[in-house]
Amino acid sequence: SPAGDSWGIFTFLCAALCNLPALPALNCSEELGAGQSIQKTYDLTRYLEHQLRTLAVPYLNYLGPPFNEPDFNPPRLARATERVPSATVDLDLWRGLTDNARLAANYRAYSRLLCYLRALDGQAGTAELRHRLGHFCSSLQGLVLSIAGVMSSLGYPLPVGPAGPSVPPGTSVAPNDFLKKMDDFWLLKELQTWLWRSAKDFNRLKKKVPPAVVTLRLEARGF
Amino acid sequence: DSHIQYERVGADVTMKCGSMDWDAAVTWTANGTDIDESHLNGSYLILKNVDLTQSGQYSCYEGSSWHLKYQTYLRVGTPPKEPVLMCRSNNYPKGFYCSWHLPTPTYIPNTFNISVIHGTKEMVCEKDAFPKNRCHIRYLQLFSTVKYKVTLTVTNALGKSSTTVTFDEFAIVKPDPPESVVAKPVPNNPRRLEVSWQNPSSWPDPESFPLKFFLRYRPLILDQWQHVELSDGTSHTITDAYAGKEYIIQVAAKDNDIGTWSDWSVAVHATPWTEEPKHLTTEAQITETTSASSSSFMPPPTTKICDKGAVVGSGAVAVCWTAGLVLAAYGVLFI
Repeated sequence: SPAGDSWGIFTFLCAALCNLPALPALNCSEELGAGQSIQKTYDLTRYLEHQLRTLAVPYLNYLGPPFNEPDFNPPRLARATERVPSATVDLDLWRGLTDNARLAANYRAYSRLLCYLRALDGQAGTAELRHRLGHFCSSLQGLVLSIAGVMSSLGYPLPVGPAGPSVPPGTSVAPNDFLKKMDDFWLLKELQTWLWRSAKDFNRLKKKVPPAVVTLRLEARGF
Repeated sequence: DSHIQYERVGADVTMKCGSMDWDAAVTWTANGTDIDESHLNGSYLILKNVDLTQSGQYSCYEGSSWHLKYQTYLRVGTPPKEPVLMCRSNNYPKGFYCSWHLPTPTYIPNTFNISVIHGTKEMVCEKDAFPKNRCHIRYLQLFSTVKYKVTLTVTNALGKSSTTVTFDEFAIVKPDPPESVVAKPVPNNPRRLEVSWQNPSSWPDPESFPLKFFLRYRPLILDQWQHVELSDGTSHTITDAYAGKEYIIQVAAKDNDIGTWSDWSVAVHATPWTEEPKHLTTEAQITETTSASSSSFMPPPTTKICDKGAVVGSGAVAVCWTAGLVLAAYGVLFI
């Protein structure tokens, strides 16, 4: 009967729509992959930010006063800005960044920050602090790889050039212990700032890359 | 010509009658009223331990000719105490504003001077026309590692006082509460309330800087709030409301990643949908007539279907009845 046919079609469509999320990535564009990995990268930055918050206190205590004082607000010396990549950026410039530039800036920054952090490892105070730093470094490594994954899924080339500091860590050692600690202080500050900048960067990227569901719905209607 | 004279509360004030000699015969008035000679020391007016009520116009007249020799306006007040200063960014990433007030009034005019230092740069905080004790600043750079240092100095004729606050860019982010909060009952759902709201209009870029929300609700008769945190979207359906009870609902907002929660929005009231009592009598009559003649096929129309969420009440019975009818119709169609 005619009623039976339409019921059958209805059941089929129902099943298809309900199973949409499980559909394999047959005719899905590469943007589906990027959408999910942007979300993962965003989640990673939040996780790292949380990790850093618990790491900051023992780290600053290791540096000792005045670095661990809450009011400590030193001026940014020129020497520090050369070494550690700064997240600070002009507002309009940040808004106008292309997706490629935005991702590349994050990739470059974290690659270099990771390198400086690794140089810290052997010198840090207690065993516990060294252990936490090591764990943080692994997570940070994961973030760098995650960003690289997003870039390649969107077809952007990875930034070339030295992933590490422009000058090898050994040669540009600070002239005295205090200045060395200042460098370490700014390293922590820049990590904190980059992590909450990245949350905003990836929010912006999330909106610009079409979400997975939209892409799949278009595919299904093609039946 | 006229002067203004500012004096502290509790001070002793001596007023001279212009260039008149100490032993000249004069008359002093306060706001037009003659002052008793006991307050005079020669031609000088002595006011001991002045209080606020003694503010006013003081005039000195030469004894016989009644020429006005001197006039002054006395304003009694206090030097400023340490002001209260607060800075906040409700329009991130555009900028922030600072607002201030004095903990106690001085009763005399004060001037406020505000300075904002970011690293080595001094920034200009533009004073708002309204409200008066407020100024705003636009961010030139985002994601700064250097703190902002804001100093407010209050000055008046009797003294000055200042206060400083230092903060990171992300620490002062606090949106305004969500706007246009609306709560509506959901037809045929006695335990639901549909709540919707909008981003605060002062938040300039919710696309790149999304907000998350916190909803709280309780029936008016209870004190305990229920809370829901929502990471996106500007609506939510409450599904566990007590049937027939009036609810009070509020929403707050926060940047997804940084800063603090906004204040609670304006409270809205709503009561979940309930069945109109007058329908029940006609439904009851139909039940009596049809149940007598129906076949055993008709499924029992009451509790089984509606057990899950409904509180038994007059409304619930009619809903179950309608559901039963629908199911029966379906059954007939497919046999």
